[in-house]
Amino acid sequence: MKALEVHNISKMFPGNLANDNISFSVEKGEIFAIVGENGAGKSTLMNIIYGIYTPTAGEIYVNEQKARIRSAEDAIQLHMGMVHQEFMLIPRFTVAQNIVVGDEPRKGIFFDYTRAVREVKELSDKVALTVDATAITGDLPVGVQQRVEILKVLRRGAEILIFDEPTAVLTPEETQELFVTMRKLQSQGKTILFISHKLKEVMDIADRIAVLRRGKVQGIVNKKDTNEEELARMMVGRNVVLEIPKVEASVGPVAFSCHDLRVKNARGMETVRDISFDVRGGEIVGIAGVQGNGQDELVNAMIGFTRPTSGSMELNGKSMRLVTTAELRRQGMSYITEDRARRGLVMPYTVRDNSVMGQHLNAPFSRGLRMNYDKIAEFAEGKVREYDIRPGDVLDTAGSLSGGNQQKLILARELSLPHNFLIASQPTRGLDVGATEFVYRKLLEEKKSGKAILLISLELSEILGLSDRILVMFEGHIVGETTPDKTTEEALGLLMLGVGVDRKVVS
Amino acid sequence: MSENSGTNKFLRIFGIDNQGRKRRDPLNVWVPLISIGLALVVGMIVIAVSGRNPFRAYALLFGDSGLIPGGSAWPREFAELLIKSAMYIATGLAVALAFKGGLFNIGAEGQFWVGAIVATFFGYWSPVAGAFGTMATALGSMAWIAQLLHGAICIILGMFAGGAWAAFAGFLYVKRGVNIVIGTIMLNWIAWFLITNWLVTGPMTPPTQTFTSGTYYVADTAKLFRIMMPTRLNTSIILVLLAAYATWFLLYKTTIGYEIRAIGHTANIGMEAPKAQGINVNRRIVQMMFFSGCLAALGGCFFILGMQYQFPNTATMGYGWTGIGVALIGQSEPIGVVLAGLFIGALRTGATSMQVANIPKTFSNIIEGLAVGFIALQVAVRYYLVKYLQRRRAHADPPAEQEAAA
Repeated sequence: MKALEVHNISKMFPGNLANDNISFSVEKGEIFAIVGENGAGKSTLMNIIYGIYTPTAGEIYVNEQKARIRSAEDAIQLHMGMVHQEFMLIPRFTVAQNIVVGDEPRKGIFFDYTRAVREVKELSDKVALTVDATAITGDLPVGVQQRVEILKVLRRGAEILIFDEPTAVLTPEETQELFVTMRKLQSQGKTILFISHKLKEVMDIADRIAVLRRGKVQGIVNKKDTNEEELARMMVGRNVVLEIPKVEASVGPVAFSCHDLRVKNARGMETVRDISFDVRGGEIVGIAGVQGNGQDELVNAMIGFTRPTSGSMELNGKSMRLVTTAELRRQGMSYITEDRARRGLVMPYTVRDNSVMGQHLNAPFSRGLRMNYDKIAEFAEGKVREYDIRPGDVLDTAGSLSGGNQQKLILARELSLPHNFLIASQPTRGLDVGATEFVYRKLLEEKKSGKAILLISLELSEILGLSDRILVMFEGHIVGETTPDKTTEEALGLLMLGVGVDRKVVS
Repeated sequence: MSENSGTNKFLRIFGIDNQGRKRRDPLNVWVPLISIGLALVVGMIVIAVSGRNPFRAYALLFGDSGLIPGGSAWPREFAELLIKSAMYIATGLAVALAFKGGLFNIGAEGQFWVGAIVATFFGYWSPVAGAFGTMATALGSMAWIAQLLHGAICIILGMFAGGAWAAFAGFLYVKRGVNIVIGTIMLNWIAWFLITNWLVTGPMTPPTQTFTSGTYYVADTAKLFRIMMPTRLNTSIILVLLAAYATWFLLYKTTIGYEIRAIGHTANIGMEAPKAQGINVNRRIVQMMFFSGCLAALGGCFFILGMQYQFPNTATMGYGWTGIGVALIGQSEPIGVVLAGLFIGALRTGATSMQVANIPKTFSNIIEGLAVGFIALQVAVRYYLVKYLQRRRAHADPPAEQEAAA
């Protein structure tokens, strides 16, 4: 039986055909993946299926019945459920409260919390998804929070579950756990739509895969008949070099160094412990590690957001003690952030206004107090051409660009600053294949031109492909230093998880 | 989407410049207009329900608001309209500027009065007033130079004091994490009671007078020029228009404005793009509060140097609170604030006349309140407006059924 059929769905936004005549059908009990680059129309399609957008044309059938889905309520009535990328949970509520919210068990006019806890426990036993019903949601790891979100959807009777980029916020282990959960749900007869742009994951979990490109279905393939390379080709429409070319550069003087650095996080816990390393011109130093092992705090200390509790840092031979972010940038530090929305760009600002932030006080962008928006526009237009930032109008807001184009804008800005040291913190997070390749090429050009680069990444293939030296971070320590030709993904993976690390060092 | 639609033409007439956006958002103009329209309609209903004739009420309200020329009383009404509006525009600009930087300066009220009392002091304080008096006598027919200088000194020092008062709240916010709304509102009351319960009834009262008479009167040289005899219209409206232009210039043409708006756009918790790009967010916030306080205090200077010539014992609060409404109706854009200030000024001017028809003047406050209320509901107004425009567009252009993804 077909759980969901989509017939000739099109969706027109002003000036943009987001979905172009899309058709596919999903069997009951199937894990069906939809992959595509950012901006290929995946989210639009899901929002149509879930009733948030009305399609311009086309029909949807649920359980072989024609369905009229005009709102998320309609979709829930039809036993569909969406697990959002950003969780819709209230951090201060307990797990049970979060799961029942919106449809609470009552005793008279009062909320029956005891019954809520009992119901949640029964549900979690029934579907074999363990959660602590009385734990405070905000205290739980992200992976468990996602499980709460799934239970919430199941409690509303969902038979078709839509997962919108569910792994974007997860660590590799949490991703594996999620896949176990998804297989469990599949074995219970649930149908799953899995939206992703990570080919490896799709190959891991899906039964069938639909590839979207520019709003069109490029093809629907069985997992067992395809491979990553083929999917990548379908996604971007050309052969993508997933292999990273080797670039040789002569190693120059030390640009950045730190000694016995200790940093505390916002809660006062010491998360960077006795770290020492240096980065020289013409080399890429990669920091590998599972998220949350001190990388964020290290970066915060390096860019002048937090003060180290002890130890020292030097930029081009000058001490960075008590130096402001603005001063560090003047002294040659550039910074590519993983969090484009929070740290990288002012989303409601235009491409033009974002393109010079940080150097807007320099001529010719301003003179004295006066901004020169004409000169800034000229500069931005040049960068838009050079970096192929689309759609290409410098007066579009940064928030209206796709993730890949936002990252290109950040690269354009950071690489045009006079600099000799670049911090690239997860520079390809959330990017599609094409944009990722672009970032790699730019980083290698930087290296070739003699810049020193610190690359912090969770993707091992990225670390191994780009770095000249690799440092492994675990619980705030550097637990290993190696080079790409002396190690493998497996060996690095074990180190990242602290396997084989002398516990005395890390205690 | 045609670039030459009616709304766009309309906008071009208004000349609203939203540096941050590619296409000017026509809703920024329509939402306040519709909110005012709704307020007038609901206001009519309220008047009718109270058993009075709404058409007569509005005829009186707007007939005597100074907006419509004609009649022997018009010059006076027009003068009153501009005098009142100047003060509302000043406090409105103060609130709007802070809004642009992502902060709610609810303390325009206190900053207004701090500006007023400081302007009063330098208006009468004998070392200053005496010097300018001598100067005026010496200059003879050129005495206006002394008046210009003395007035300017009073206004500059008044604005500086109001700015410092606001900057203190900004300082508490960035250094101690004191919420800006709490900080500014507390400073309102501190300013108000320090001034009215102590300065005005104590050290600044002439010794020969009773405590009910207010402070010394300012010297003639401190008074604002009157520009439309015999009405009491003075230069305040010109000064406030210059201030509005300066605010617009600050926001949209200077590096400080660029940074302030970037901070405002990222004021949500955890957003730190400007900081990561090396902008000194804390310093800008304190500066912005200073400018905001200066603007509110400018209104206070008008109150003293253009109307009262002393700090009266009978002063009542309200100019700063009104400024919040003006900023909201004006959508925090300087040009919008000017128009909204004129609208509120007109309501207040015409309100007295309604009493002739036995209609309490508080009805104009009701309309004002409703207008702000509908502005506060602007999410809803925007929603229905977008829906309406979509339907019309779909009607005019059936093949491309479009909808804006909200």
